[in-house]
Amino acid sequence: MEAKNGDEIKKAVRELYGDIARQHECSCCAPPSEVDSGCCSSCASETSSAQTFYSAEELESIAADIPSLGCGNPIALAELKENEAVVDLGSGGGLDCFLAAQRVGPQGKVIGLDMTPDMIDLARANAEKLSLDNVEFRLGEMEHMPVESNSADVVISNCVINLSPDKDAVFGEVFRVLKPGGRLCVSDIVTHGELPESIRESLVQWAGCVAGALKEEDYLEKIRQAGFVQLEKEEAKVDPYKEEAAYNLGASIASIAVKAFKPA
Amino acid sequence: MKRDLMEILACPLCKGDLTLTVDEEDEQEIITGALRCESCSVTYPIEDTIPNLLPPDIRTEK
Repeated sequence: MEAKNGDEIKKAVRELYGDIARQHECSCCAPPSEVDSGCCSSCASETSSAQTFYSAEELESIAADIPSLGCGNPIALAELKENEAVVDLGSGGGLDCFLAAQRVGPQGKVIGLDMTPDMIDLARANAEKLSLDNVEFRLGEMEHMPVESNSADVVISNCVINLSPDKDAVFGEVFRVLKPGGRLCVSDIVTHGELPESIRESLVQWAGCVAGALKEEDYLEKIRQAGFVQLEKEEAKVDPYKEEAAYNLGASIASIAVKAFKPA
Repeated sequence: MKRDLMEILACPLCKGDLTLTVDEEDEQEIITGALRCESCSVTYPIEDTIPNLLPPDIRTEK
């Protein structure tokens, strides 16, 4: 299968994550079995990546078993304050939204955006268990965010932007919706080196968080080009991907965390 | 969808304001209804409390 255009990519991504949401027993974004190198391949067993990236205190604070499909912990990076408005791109089962909702308090608000209807259903079911009043989910695309300009204090995202066929549009939209001085706090998969074309063109590999991953320097450059300043990059404190660097891909994949600001 | 979240919402295409129509609402939130963008002539449904703000070409694919 070749990744011919953005619509095909989005369809493949929606199908895979719809399946995961429906099964929701293995929550990690382990792609189909022919892919050994997908995002969260470290948790290709039936555990979620939640235990890898979140503290026990964080997970206990959410008294529900919500899986993570992420590759990091953008909440830890974001240092959220009371009353802030937060948008989560690719909110999945809602874990990051719920952690954010606790931190911003009753006067703050959190909006989870996901393009997969089954994920929104899963997040809503989880939200009901937690009875948090300040978090909402909506179906939408990160390339066309249904959010007013200059309205968010923080945009978070966890292992999702790599899935987009148009990352310039995503970073441009994030910049637009952030208030002046607002911040982007993102965990994502990047590559060190060039992936071979056979991988790049595979829809399965794209949906598994590999084929769409940019080289680290290109990823950071796209954030700068969108207008962001004061980029801070953290190597993930726990990076299970690094251990598996020799994928026969001709490149390795890594999890990074990036914080960047819209000029005040 | 809760009413106070309206203020941060925008049309995904033109980023303009949306007009809310409520069909069904309980004390907490809007259960069914619609969000309309007049300038794009597009209506975004609210079903089972979730606003569907996917661009129209994607929405029909489900």
